[in-house]
Amino acid sequence: MKCFRVFLFGGEVLKVNRQVGLLGLTALMLTFLLLLSFGTAAAIEPADSQSVPAAQGVANETCLSCHATPGMETTLPSGEILYLTVDPEVYDHSIHGEQGYACVQCHTDIRSYPHRPLDAQTRRDVSLLYYQNCARCHMDKYDATMDSVHEQALENGNKNAALCVDCHGYHDVTDPAEPRSKIPKTCERCHSQIYAEYADSVHGEALLDDGNPDVPTCIDCHGVHDVSGPSNSDFRLFSPQLCAKCHADEEMMGKYGISTNVFNSYVSDFHGTTVIFDQEFPGQETNKPVCIDCHGVHNMKQVDQAESKVMQANLLTTCQRCHPDATPNFTSAWLGHYQPSLERFPAVYLVDLFYKIFIPFVLGFMVLFVFGDATRRLINRRRQKRDE
Amino acid sequence: MSNTTESAQGVQVDQPNHTFVRFNISERIEHWVFITSFITLGTTGLVQRYAESPISKAIVEVVGGIETLRLIHHIAAVTTMLVVIYHIGAVGYRIYVQRARLTMLPVINDAVNLYQSGLYYLGIRKEPPQQGRYTFEEKIEYWAVVWGTIIMAITGFMMWNPIATTRILPGQFIPAAKEAHGLEAVLAVLAILIWHMYQVFIRHFNKAMYTGKISEKEMLHDHPLELADIKAGVAKPPVTSEGIAKRRRIYFPIYAVVAAAMLVGVYFFVGYEETAIKTLPPEEQAEIFVPFTPTPLPTAPPTPTPPPVTVLTWDGGIGALLDAKCVACHNSTSKLSGLDLSYYQGALLGGDSGPAVVPGDAEKSNLIIVQSAGGHPGQLTDDELSQVEDWITNGAPEN
Repeated sequence: MKCFRVFLFGGEVLKVNRQVGLLGLTALMLTFLLLLSFGTAAAIEPADSQSVPAAQGVANETCLSCHATPGMETTLPSGEILYLTVDPEVYDHSIHGEQGYACVQCHTDIRSYPHRPLDAQTRRDVSLLYYQNCARCHMDKYDATMDSVHEQALENGNKNAALCVDCHGYHDVTDPAEPRSKIPKTCERCHSQIYAEYADSVHGEALLDDGNPDVPTCIDCHGVHDVSGPSNSDFRLFSPQLCAKCHADEEMMGKYGISTNVFNSYVSDFHGTTVIFDQEFPGQETNKPVCIDCHGVHNMKQVDQAESKVMQANLLTTCQRCHPDATPNFTSAWLGHYQPSLERFPAVYLVDLFYKIFIPFVLGFMVLFVFGDATRRLINRRRQKRDE
Repeated sequence: MSNTTESAQGVQVDQPNHTFVRFNISERIEHWVFITSFITLGTTGLVQRYAESPISKAIVEVVGGIETLRLIHHIAAVTTMLVVIYHIGAVGYRIYVQRARLTMLPVINDAVNLYQSGLYYLGIRKEPPQQGRYTFEEKIEYWAVVWGTIIMAITGFMMWNPIATTRILPGQFIPAAKEAHGLEAVLAVLAILIWHMYQVFIRHFNKAMYTGKISEKEMLHDHPLELADIKAGVAKPPVTSEGIAKRRRIYFPIYAVVAAAMLVGVYFFVGYEETAIKTLPPEEQAEIFVPFTPTPLPTAPPTPTPPPVTVLTWDGGIGALLDAKCVACHNSTSKLSGLDLSYYQGALLGGDSGPAVVPGDAEKSNLIIVQSAGGHPGQLTDDELSQVEDWITNGAPEN
C-alpha cells in the first residue's frame, strides 16, 4: 500500500494511508484559505463604512438664522469665550462652502434646537471634540496622522498638538498649498522660531520672496499628515536621501547651476559611507554627520554666502562641532564635494593617477607571467605525453 | 622513469621523496597569522571602499554594523603590526645571530632570471633559469608585501589620527591617504589572487606552508641552486654554538629595546587621538513650540447693552430687553421655533411649544420656563429674569 511517512521526534515513523493523507492535507489547506479570506474581509470593512459624510439634514439657512448674528458667544466653564458667529461670506468661499456641504455634516451632534449641551471645558476642548469628524470624509489623511509626531504629543497629553483644524482652519478651509507660501506660514502658527530660521534660509528666501516653486517647504522634508519627529533617528539617518531627492536631480539643479554630485561625493567619503551602512540598521542612531549637520537645519545658506556654515571662514567651527580638537588644516581633509583635480586637492588627484598607472602595470606584468608559465607548462606536458 | 635524474648542476638526486625543511614551525605560524589578518583586512577594508555594493551591505549586516566592522579591521591592523614587529626580530635573528645568507635580497641575477623566464615562456630558451632558495617570483611576492605593508601602515596611521596628521601636513593628505590605502588594498588583494594563488596552488600545490617540508624533486625543479648548495654543504654558513650564544646575548637586549619602541608606536597608532565626539552632533538650537501669536480670534462686537428697564411694561423696557437678548434668533424672518419676540403680540402668540408669555401666570409662560432652566443662548441675567417674571405676574402690560 502506498503511504506517506511522517517522521516523528525520536526517529519514530508514522505511516499514513496516501488517500487519507491527501484528504487531510486538502482539508487543512481549505481551512487555512477560508480563515485567510475571512481575516482579509474583516480587515477591510471598517475603513469603508467610515468615509461617508453624514447626511444633510438641516439646511444651512436654519443654522445661520442664528449663527450669522454678529457677536454670538457663550462662556465656557474655563471662563474662555467661545464665539458662535459664522460669517456666511467666509464659509461660502471655503472649499466646503463652495461645494455646498451642510453645517451638520461636520457638526454631527447637532440636529435640532435646543442643542445638546457642549462637553467642552475650554476652547481647545471644542476643537478636540470636533476634529475627528474630518475623518468621516478624509479617512486616509486622518489615518496618516495617527503615525505623526503631533498625534504622539496628543496621546502624551499635550493638548497643543496640531489637530486637523489647526492647520486647515474650520469654517474657512481653503487649499492648504495655495499659494505655496501658505504651507510654511501654516506651520509658523506653532513653530514660529523655526519659521524665522527657514524664512532666512536659501530655501525660505526663494519661496517667500520670489515664489520659487522648486525649493522645499516644511512638508517636503517633514511630510504632511504623517509628520515624523525630526529627532526620530530614522529621519536623521535617511535625511541625506531626502536632500538628494532634489540635489541629485539633474534637471532641477541644472536651472540653478548646482552640482548634482553632492550625494555621491558624500557617500564616497568616510561620513557618508558610514551613514549608508548605518542605514542597513533602521532605528539606530548615527553620530556621523548628515547634510544638515554641516549645512544647517532650517537656516542653510547658499554655500558662497558669508553666513554659510560651510564657508571657508566658518568651516573650522563647523568641523569642531564633532571634532573639538580640529585645526585649520583639518578642514581641507573634507573634499567639500569636489572631484579632486590638479588645481583642487592635487595630492588626492596625484595618488589616484599614480595608482591608475601602477595597478595595471603591476597586475599586467603578473598576468603576463602567469599566463606564460601556464602555457609553457601545458605545452611541455603535451610534448612529454607525445614523446612517451 | 628512472629513480635517478640529473640536474643542470650535475647533482645526483638519489631519493626523489627525500624532503628538506623549507619553513620551520615559527615561520609557518607567522605566515598563518599574517594570512588571517590579511584576509580580514582585505574583506573589511574593501567592503568600506565599495560601500554601495550589495555584497558589502550583506557583509556589514552579518557582522552587525559598520562600527563593528571597523573594530574588526582595526584589530586585524594591529595584528599585522605585531606580525611585522615579530618578523623584523626573526629576520634580524637569522641574519645576525645565525649568520644566515641574505637569500631574500634582490640581486642583479633576479632580473636576469626574470628575463630568461620570459624567453623560456616564449620558447626562445629551452630551459627555465636555475634559481636559488628564493626565486625571483617569490622575491617579487615578498617585497610587494613589504611595500604594501609600509604604505598601508603610513596611510592607515593618517586616517586613524587625522587631526594629529593635519597638525603637520595639509588637510588633503587625509583623503589622499584614504585613496592610497584603498587602491593599494585593491592592488594587494588582486596581486595575491593572481600571483600568489597561481604560484602556490595552481602551478603546483606547494605544501611547504602546511608541512614545512619540500620534496627533493620540488627542490630540483624550483630551487636547484639551493639544492646544489645543500649538497655541497655551503647552504648554511659555518657557525659555532659559542658564537651563537655570544651573539644572542648581544642581539636579544637590542631587539627588546627596538620591539618595545615599536610596541609603543603601535600603542600611539591606536590611541593617539580622540578624533571625534562619541555622541550625536549637537542639535539645532530652536524651540519647537513657539506659537506665532495667540491664535487670532474674531473680535466680538460689543454686545448691545439693553437699556435699563424703567417701567415694568413692554414699551417701558421689557421689549427692548428681549430685543437685545432674544431677537437675534426669535425674529420675524428666522422665527426660530416659530417664535417671534420682536413685537408685543408675537410674545403673546408664542411659538411651536405654546405662548411665550401668559399674562399673569409666569409659571406657565414658556419664556420663563426656558430661561429658568438656564444655558439658553441669549441667557437673561438673574435680575433681568426676575424683572420679566414680575412683568408677567403684573399682567404683562404693553404700556
